[in-house]
Amino acid sequence: MTKMIGKSVKRVEDKRFITGKGQYTDDIILPNMVYAHFVRSPYAHAKILSVDTAEALAHPGVIAVYTGADVAEVNGVPCGWQVNFKSGETMKEPKHPLLVVNKARHAGDAVAVVIAESKEAARDAVDLVEVDYEELDAVVDPKKAAEDGAPLVHEDAPNNICFDWELGNPKEEVDAAIAGSAHVTTLEFANQRVIPNAIEPRSYIGDYDVAHDKYTLYTSTQNPHLIRLLLCAFVLGIPEHKVRVVSKDVGGGFGSKIFHYAEEALVTWIAKELGRPVKWTADRSEAFLTDAHGRDHVTKAEMGFDEEGNITGLRIKTYAAMGGYLSTFAPAVPTYLHGTLLQGLYTTPKIHVDVVATFTHTCAVDAYRGAGRPEATYLLERMLDTAALEMGMDPAELRFKNFIPAFNGVDEEGYVTNVALQYDSGNYHPVLQRALEMVGYEDFRKEQAAARENGKLLGIGFSTYIEACGIAPSAVVGALGARAGLFEVSQVRVQPTGMVSVYTGAHSHGQGHETTFAQVVADKFGIPLEHVDIVHGDSDSVAFGMGTYGSRSLAVGGSALVKSIEKVIEKGTKIAAHVLEAAEDDLEFADGKWTVKGTDKSIGFGDVSLTAYVPHNYPAGLEPGLDFSSFYDPTNFTYPFGAHIAIVEVDKDTGKVSLKRFIAVDDVGNVINPMIVDGQIHGGVVQGVGQAMFEQAHYDEDGQLITGSYMDYAMPRADDIPMIETDRTTTPCPHNPLGVKGAGEAGAIGSTPAVVNAVMDALSPFGVKNLSMPLTSESVWRAMNS
Amino acid sequence: MKIEGDYLLKASPATLWEKLLHTETLAKITPGVKHLEETAPGQFIATSEIKIGPVQGSFKGDLSIKDKKEPEGFTLVLSQKSKIGNATAEVKLNIIPESAEETKVKYEGKAKLSGVLARTGQRVIGGVVKTLAKQFFKALEAELAKGTSDVEVSPTEASPPPSPEADTPPA
Repeated sequence: MTKMIGKSVKRVEDKRFITGKGQYTDDIILPNMVYAHFVRSPYAHAKILSVDTAEALAHPGVIAVYTGADVAEVNGVPCGWQVNFKSGETMKEPKHPLLVVNKARHAGDAVAVVIAESKEAARDAVDLVEVDYEELDAVVDPKKAAEDGAPLVHEDAPNNICFDWELGNPKEEVDAAIAGSAHVTTLEFANQRVIPNAIEPRSYIGDYDVAHDKYTLYTSTQNPHLIRLLLCAFVLGIPEHKVRVVSKDVGGGFGSKIFHYAEEALVTWIAKELGRPVKWTADRSEAFLTDAHGRDHVTKAEMGFDEEGNITGLRIKTYAAMGGYLSTFAPAVPTYLHGTLLQGLYTTPKIHVDVVATFTHTCAVDAYRGAGRPEATYLLERMLDTAALEMGMDPAELRFKNFIPAFNGVDEEGYVTNVALQYDSGNYHPVLQRALEMVGYEDFRKEQAAARENGKLLGIGFSTYIEACGIAPSAVVGALGARAGLFEVSQVRVQPTGMVSVYTGAHSHGQGHETTFAQVVADKFGIPLEHVDIVHGDSDSVAFGMGTYGSRSLAVGGSALVKSIEKVIEKGTKIAAHVLEAAEDDLEFADGKWTVKGTDKSIGFGDVSLTAYVPHNYPAGLEPGLDFSSFYDPTNFTYPFGAHIAIVEVDKDTGKVSLKRFIAVDDVGNVINPMIVDGQIHGGVVQGVGQAMFEQAHYDEDGQLITGSYMDYAMPRADDIPMIETDRTTTPCPHNPLGVKGAGEAGAIGSTPAVVNAVMDALSPFGVKNLSMPLTSESVWRAMNS
Repeated sequence: MKIEGDYLLKASPATLWEKLLHTETLAKITPGVKHLEETAPGQFIATSEIKIGPVQGSFKGDLSIKDKKEPEGFTLVLSQKSKIGNATAEVKLNIIPESAEETKVKYEGKAKLSGVLARTGQRVIGGVVKTLAKQFFKALEAELAKGTSDVEVSPTEASPPPSPEADTPPA
């Protein structure tokens, strides 16, 4: 049997995806099903004076119309993470009702829902619901929201502040370190709001089976068990064993499908009210308006350096938008996923970060591919390249000078940061070194100088990042405010014939778990890949799970899987020893069979499995069967890192930025399937390039989302992206059995600042140091011509 | 959103004043207007059909005229509702004599959009407003040339100017 771990096996799930056989929630049609369509506020901030549903109810095919008053007694959607004020006071956590009662708080806020026999009837009747609004002033900028006199999103959150929070060394020490620096680099910038844009819009079906008093929610979520927990325990107050949550194929999430949305609870609640299954699928416009957005930070950063270019201190003040309501993970993103990453790869001795989270009259902001870590990386890497320019140093040299020295986390301690983390293992020089070799750095600088002579603007930008993945050790995140554990669950059920069904609490929505997890099982058991089936996304099949986000599936879910695999092998060894009439210690398990060491006596995996289920010749006292579950709670986060380099050319006449080359050298620990990791890096890089060059969710001052369709919201396209050149170094994770660190977010974290830094390098002859993303032709042209 | 512009017409301020405040004429020359009904002096209910790039809809709502200062100008206040979003606008019209034969009508004000109208129409709306205004004044010109108000003006489909970033033509 060849080794399966480390092999670029083609993805087994792709057969059904490319032949149109995937089963997405909207593909499910239940008998007697009815359809929901929402009445959404056209205003960002408005009093609801009245809602008249009479005409809509009279529309042919309409069954019911529910308004905020109908669900006023139902709990709101909860927030899963609590962050406290500096003073210790609990964050402001206003109710997030399923439907608006008195006031709409963002454009697209759901005011009523129409249920009809057909999608079309529901859609038509939505126009017949007469809502009388009184439009109020809105605030959309996270920093302006905190100013005195700004319109309030929630009356009980003065100055719109959800919390103000700090982390790091005492502020005075950081102030002193920066004051005593030979050079201080200061930048003020926004990390603009972006829209996740999963290709599959959110889709939910609520179903209630009166015969068994049982609910089923089909949902396009990244974490079915988490949705069940929130739905049952917090929103509807229904018993968890009476609810099944099914999340089959999901067409991308990028974070936006982690969160528990009001529509999920509503279709479930209405299904029982009406005694009929209720389906809702967002249209693209609703996806723009209501899928939780990402980023939206406004930051001032100051970094001090001594005369040699060693970093002396870092001081950050960030305003982070929460939007109109607190989404499930929202408070954690600018704090524990952002503030804690500001050590980066550097030995910065003093760090202080201050985060003010504000409510704004906008769609909620929550985790989006990278979640906080891209914001931290953008901040640090923009500072490094800007500082290098200001101090007349080479940006690569400046990084080498400030890198934390290598440590393996096994016989060398993990690196304790100034911002509450302990890095597991790291070796940062080689990734940048390798990236420089790939790009041909010295030659490029010559080429750049020659090009400048000829009026061509070439630029190179660097980004060396670290991220905290494998989310997360429950005790640690509990202390940080998480209201859930972040372990993972696996069950390995070996069938009598030796075929293996694996039930995982991780959830695949494009990541390829059905291949990667099967590779781990096939490798460890020494059986063909085809003998392994990965089951996920159904709370009635899978015991429990925390789902997929934060690059956690393999590091946490894969570790849970290995635990169950080890239990199977341990029990299998007992059975094999009995059948082979040998001592357990004399057996070795390899290539799918147990062999008595030094002999040709052996028994295969299939025979042991059959013996476990037909236990005629069986060890006394041993239970039949070969089926194990495991919970795995990691002891630490994992810390992938890498070096990304972008090369751009800026057109002098039009300001158009062309990405010429992109080099990504990542260290994600051990790799199970290199092809899938490359794919993840490619996708992540493109998403990060999208933020740097194209994407922006723009609200006007009235709170209207004026980039509410693909006419105005630009996504990166294939011809915007050069072939991404990837390579890897391998620094295994010392604390999980596979030595893996996670690869899903790396590309999106590292790439954005590399591109922006490259454009700033290209524009350096113009004295341009800081431009807001996205770097459109217009903004670049204006910068060159002002 | 800011609305501003001007138009030069061959008429005296007094004639323009008369035409601009004549309900039937106003209904005829205003692009897209299907119906205009005076409910009280200076107060109207208007229904119109407008197509702006990819969005089209029927609007209904109030139109009122305030701050009348004959023949120098007045302020037009619009509050229109539709299934694709609502629009409110307050536009000041100044009637300024330029010469013995010519008078300039200068307009400036602000409009606010919501809903789909704001979300997908915003980028083209500046151009649309300019086009609509131009159509309005052209129709007014025709009306002035006729002397009587029996000009047929069809409901208008405003085509926005081509945008350099648009890669699909407006529907």
